[in-house]
Amino acid sequence: MQVKDSNRNRRDFLTLAAICLVLQVAVAPNIALGNGRANFGLVFAGVASLLVGGQFGVFCGFLAGLIFDLSTTGPIGLMSFLLTIGSYVVGIEARNRIADDFVGSMRQFAQMAFIVSLAYHVAMFLVGEATSVMDVVLLRTLPTFALTLLGFAPFAYVISHATGSALTLGGKPSKSARSHGSRYDLGNL
Amino acid sequence: MPQKGGATPPSTRFRRTDADGGLRICIVLVVLSLVMFTASVREGDGPGVFTTARGAWMTITTPIRWVGGAVTAPFQGLGNIFANLTADQERLSELKAENERLVARNAELEESEQTARRLESLLGLQSLYNLQSTGARIISGSTDSWSSTVTIDKGTAAGIAVGMPVTDSNGAIGQIIRCGAASSTVRLVTDENSSVSAMVQSSRAQGVLRGSVDGTLHLTLVRTDQNVEVGDTVVTSGLGGVFPKGLPLGTVTSVERTSGALYYDIEVEPLSSTESFEEVLVITSLTEDQKPTAEEVAQADKQDSASSGAKSTKSDDSSDSNDSGDGSAEQTDESAGGDGTEDESEDQSQDEG
Repeated sequence: MQVKDSNRNRRDFLTLAAICLVLQVAVAPNIALGNGRANFGLVFAGVASLLVGGQFGVFCGFLAGLIFDLSTTGPIGLMSFLLTIGSYVVGIEARNRIADDFVGSMRQFAQMAFIVSLAYHVAMFLVGEATSVMDVVLLRTLPTFALTLLGFAPFAYVISHATGSALTLGGKPSKSARSHGSRYDLGNL
Repeated sequence: MPQKGGATPPSTRFRRTDADGGLRICIVLVVLSLVMFTASVREGDGPGVFTTARGAWMTITTPIRWVGGAVTAPFQGLGNIFANLTADQERLSELKAENERLVARNAELEESEQTARRLESLLGLQSLYNLQSTGARIISGSTDSWSSTVTIDKGTAAGIAVGMPVTDSNGAIGQIIRCGAASSTVRLVTDENSSVSAMVQSSRAQGVLRGSVDGTLHLTLVRTDQNVEVGDTVVTSGLGGVFPKGLPLGTVTSVERTSGALYYDIEVEPLSSTESFEEVLVITSLTEDQKPTAEEVAQADKQDSASSGAKSTKSDDSSDSNDSGDGSAEQTDESAGGDGTEDESEDQSQDEG
């Protein structure tokens, strides 16, 4: 039996977006590692592109970046630019990788997070916001990357181990569901 | 196109509604992002669509920031308590609940006591310097890793405007760089792009206090024929026209003199540390006695003109400007005490707006 519940899928993604938004606005500013702060916009974009990808992932990346830009003092459009491209590249391959390959998805998100963080800070350096490349890399990019990866891990763990949620997209389904070929489908998102 | 079915691997079962993998929408959104980025950089901190949007966003998210600050504030001082509670749990099991309650109560009372002390200090500072000010509370730190800023819970509705200096009970901490209706962003003096006209309190040697990425302050442009000692207090000089004269900024921790150099390399430890839910004062206007006297301006001019080779450098830097960092500021007064960079002018025009 094919299960299609796009309303539930949307609701679950809206919940995920709300959680990331609250974490970004309320928690990230108060937890810092050196000069680095977690980027939950990147976390949301990573989850969306690794789970669904395609147009949906790209759109989520853009929106997450835009909200991040609005929350910071930097120029608007820079993070949305980077997350749009990052989400497209990550989401262009097969979907549902968090459930299928937890370690692989962590690795892929780590690559995305590092490149996006580095590109963001280098871009800020290029527009004259800093004088030292070493400071940009060591004191800003690496702490940001580490905290963001730390922020992504719980989401990836929960999604990869949960059953029944739309966000799992059928990852580790129950035996009964597997025997009936049941899968959620986010194609309509 | 992958087919849905029982034998198909899970990762290929999902129906793709976008045959190009989202390439078209990606291109559209990338172009849109670049347009926004360009327009945002051109707009800067002046009035415009993006500034308005950011202000609205700040207003909308202020309650969330406030709650976040409230939730995380207790954990800033309770780290050791959790570590101590791991010792000998068996013997302390019946006392654990009581202990936790007392610890929590103690922390709460200590926090209240510290709050009372800070408020008293603020009132003392306000009275001592005769500051025209409004009280506010820090509700959040910097959202990004790029800038050292804090968000306070007062905005334009409370009469706050861009450019106003902010102090805590220890001294100056920064300057308002962005205002929403109910909250404002303060760029701290420790921010890499911050620079404040300052002087050594004992010798009156004048310079510019700059922030750095590692959180320390550097007092620059102090000539090597001036007298500066470790332990000296650094205060605002008031020459930039933004901060009132004489507010403490930090303490000199090291003074280095490179052979042949015109200026000292002075490291300053900031006096203030900003944490969530601490009270601050936003100075809304300066009185005449808080502005530098003509004699002090003349002294700064004299100090500046003594090293004519470095005059252009100094004139570029001598200002209380911690809201730009784009390096495009032009000095309208080339003296060390010159008020008003381009940034300042922008700020003031925003104030008027």
